[in-house]
Amino acid sequence: MSPILYHTLVAFVVLNAVVGMVTYATLLERKFAARMQSRIGPYYVGWPHGWLQPIADAIKLMLKEDIVPRSADRWVYNLAPIAFLVPCVLIFATIPFAPGLGVADLNIGVLFFLAVSALEVVGLFMGGWGSNNKYALLSAMRAVNQIISYDLPFIFAALVPVVLSGSLQMSAIVEAQRGLFGWHVFAGGLLGPLTFLAYLVATIAAENRVPFDILEAESELVAGFRVEYSGMKFALIQLGEYAHMIGTSFLGALLFLGGWLGPGPAVLGPLWFLLKAVFIFLVVTWVRWSFVRIRVDQILAVSWKLLLPATLVLLLLAAFVVAWGGSGA
Amino acid sequence: MLADAARLAGAVGRAMGVTWRNFWRKPVTLMYPDTPRRYPDRFRGLLALVYERDTGEEACIGCRLCEYICPPQVIKVEMLKAEKRNYAKTFTLELYSCEFCELCVQVCPTDAIVMLRSFDLATADRRELLLDKDRLHALGREFDPSWATGNRLRDMQAPPKAARAEGKGGKAEVKAE
Amino acid sequence: MEVVEIGYGGSERLTMNMGPQHPSAHGVFRAILTLEGETVVGIDAVIGYLHRCHEKLGETLTYVQYPSIASKTDYVAAMTSELAYVSAVEKLGKFDVPRRAQYLRVLAAELQRIASHCLWLGTWCMDMGGAIGGGATVFLYCFREREKILDLFEALTGARLLYGFHQIGGVRYDLPAGWAAQCRETIDVIEQRIGEYEAMLEDNEFFLVRTRGVGVISRELAQEIGISGPLIRGSGVDFDLRRAEPYSSYGDFDFKVPVETAGDCYARYRVRMVEFRQSITIVRQVLDGLPEGPIGSRPGVKSVGQVRVPKGEGYARVEGPRGEVGCYLVTDGGPKPYRMKWRGASFSNLSVLPHILPGVKVADVVAIMGSVDPVFGEVDR
Repeated sequence: MSPILYHTLVAFVVLNAVVGMVTYATLLERKFAARMQSRIGPYYVGWPHGWLQPIADAIKLMLKEDIVPRSADRWVYNLAPIAFLVPCVLIFATIPFAPGLGVADLNIGVLFFLAVSALEVVGLFMGGWGSNNKYALLSAMRAVNQIISYDLPFIFAALVPVVLSGSLQMSAIVEAQRGLFGWHVFAGGLLGPLTFLAYLVATIAAENRVPFDILEAESELVAGFRVEYSGMKFALIQLGEYAHMIGTSFLGALLFLGGWLGPGPAVLGPLWFLLKAVFIFLVVTWVRWSFVRIRVDQILAVSWKLLLPATLVLLLLAAFVVAWGGSGA
Repeated sequence: MLADAARLAGAVGRAMGVTWRNFWRKPVTLMYPDTPRRYPDRFRGLLALVYERDTGEEACIGCRLCEYICPPQVIKVEMLKAEKRNYAKTFTLELYSCEFCELCVQVCPTDAIVMLRSFDLATADRRELLLDKDRLHALGREFDPSWATGNRLRDMQAPPKAARAEGKGGKAEVKAE
Repeated sequence: MEVVEIGYGGSERLTMNMGPQHPSAHGVFRAILTLEGETVVGIDAVIGYLHRCHEKLGETLTYVQYPSIASKTDYVAAMTSELAYVSAVEKLGKFDVPRRAQYLRVLAAELQRIASHCLWLGTWCMDMGGAIGGGATVFLYCFREREKILDLFEALTGARLLYGFHQIGGVRYDLPAGWAAQCRETIDVIEQRIGEYEAMLEDNEFFLVRTRGVGVISRELAQEIGISGPLIRGSGVDFDLRRAEPYSSYGDFDFKVPVETAGDCYARYRVRMVEFRQSITIVRQVLDGLPEGPIGSRPGVKSVGQVRVPKGEGYARVEGPRGEVGCYLVTDGGPKPYRMKWRGASFSNLSVLPHILPGVKVADVVAIMGSVDPVFGEVDR
């Protein structure tokens, strides 16, 4: 079959898989959070234990009335969810789920991922501005501040495994982690764990998750930039957020936890990859349900005064480790 | 700087440890209405009129004390005079405005109005909550009554003369623990 | 309809409405904030959304009927609201209250204080942490504990939130069999769980950075402006009505009154956390020393005009979980008062907001509102 048809088909399958994963990730998060709060999560829909709850939510959102505020900037307002969703889903194009199984295993894969994932802030700001709502505007301002500040430590933390592996291509990074304790999270003594920790913190912040979710602080800004969206547009924004979350979890599993490497036959590779990504997702969820949020100026202080110098130092250390031990695996 | 980081790490670990410990505890959710909820003895639920135990007649004598004491004035009674004792000709209680304060139970001289150990009367039509005398009697037969009746409450609250009543009918509660 | 373009020119001021319907307004409270960027420069508070004419109701309902209604002013701490009214009537009518009833009133008030502080901690953390975030976790834990106390009250009075427990001259319900053992068990569990909350919050850099130095009420301001309760005790003023004017035999119990000097949200948090444990101590002392005897000095209520108070006027106050709750009565010898005025603790506490809010960031507004802990039933009456 012609290459274009083949790639379109693969892209279609991956897109659907991503949407499916995202909807069930919401259920996983709700059940996990519920157990931590001494209660049962969704239960009755799709009895038992709410297996059909995400489907019910999706149908509900599709059936809701689409309200556009009269004084909203129509073009900006309507395009914002799409501008937000597209980068968040596009990052999955570069992730290989197994050697050879992926949409496009670019040889600048990590660079493409980081660049595209930073574009979501455009959609976010469009949503905040186009809503013509002071709460949304305040939230959009905070979002621009926060996401741009945290993209830098995020990129530097993600570059450490690149330096350790000597390549930007994702499959090459995974191959460089072969062997017992070959994962980058164990590399170079304290270097690996600290970088992984910095990556997790930067992920939580770039994702607007508690304790850094000041921009959608329900108790002050009542959903922030999303406040004027309803129905399918809201669904697209939710989809984008969770897709970005899962995408960065997959990236973290790939960069630090060895991707599809694991005991057993090679066909189990994607399963190990999924489990590692879910592990990172659950750790982020656990943090989310344990802490209160901090103020926006404190968030920025953490980023510029703590995380950025730390990740720069770690990157330098990684360079030393490589120069000492020879580049590559 | 390092000490700060260590303290932060410790605090983060403690907080996440608390959530982790609660993850393994049994959820406190009660799957109502599949599992019925045990109401305590004194539960102030729906109101009902009861019949006298020995004669089977309606206990209400239409004296209207409950009507006068009700703070939101939801009870309306008309008395029917008869030879041996009076009755209530009509007795309406607007349950949608009732405060469930139990003052009507407290004043009733014949223990006619009681509160029940249930409040399952959810309805989509408010007119169903305007209880008339038949409905009140039907509710009294349907659900269990609470412990409190007028005489029991007044005996519990009054100063030492009640101690003599305690020996008589055993209706006063244990005083101390 | 005119379409208003929102302008944000950096140095221009933005008027934002934290409206009566807001997830963290603690009730119905409208704060019209004037912002310059992220900093609040002015606040215009609008209250009255929950006004239910309690003071007029006090004139139309008799002394026998009103205690059940009094609980609806501060509905979160219903026992202390009822106690204020009933104390005022007893003071004016010179009714005395038997010792067992006084001990039961202390028991109810202290259990209510624990329950109210559970609700305070839960809602405060939820405001700071988000309804779907770590705050909600603390909220659900605190409500799990509060449910246990509400179960105790349900076994005692039959109602979970608005009790009608107090009566002129005593209380309406005595302890049922097995209640004291259940109470001891409950407070043991709660004491241990409070330790868990402190572990989650104390030392937690995220929490400390949100509350330290935020919303400082200086000692002079606290003394001038008429706030009470944990707000002044967090600012260094050592005043607690339970110790200054012991009512209802509080003088028999041994408890510490916590005082912190910093005056910020963290100081008020510490004051309330210590009050948790002190209330538990008082409950244990009451259960150990509960005397036998009647629970009321007057016969049980049989008619609506049973209690008559001679002509006079007077004021009685109690230390509620939010501060001083007081009731001022003018009586004329009949079964109803001529005039009744409630001194709501939250109403006076809210007056401190225009003094401490200018200069803080928007995110701190919720932290400060939470630490002031208003209940709008008391504010609007």
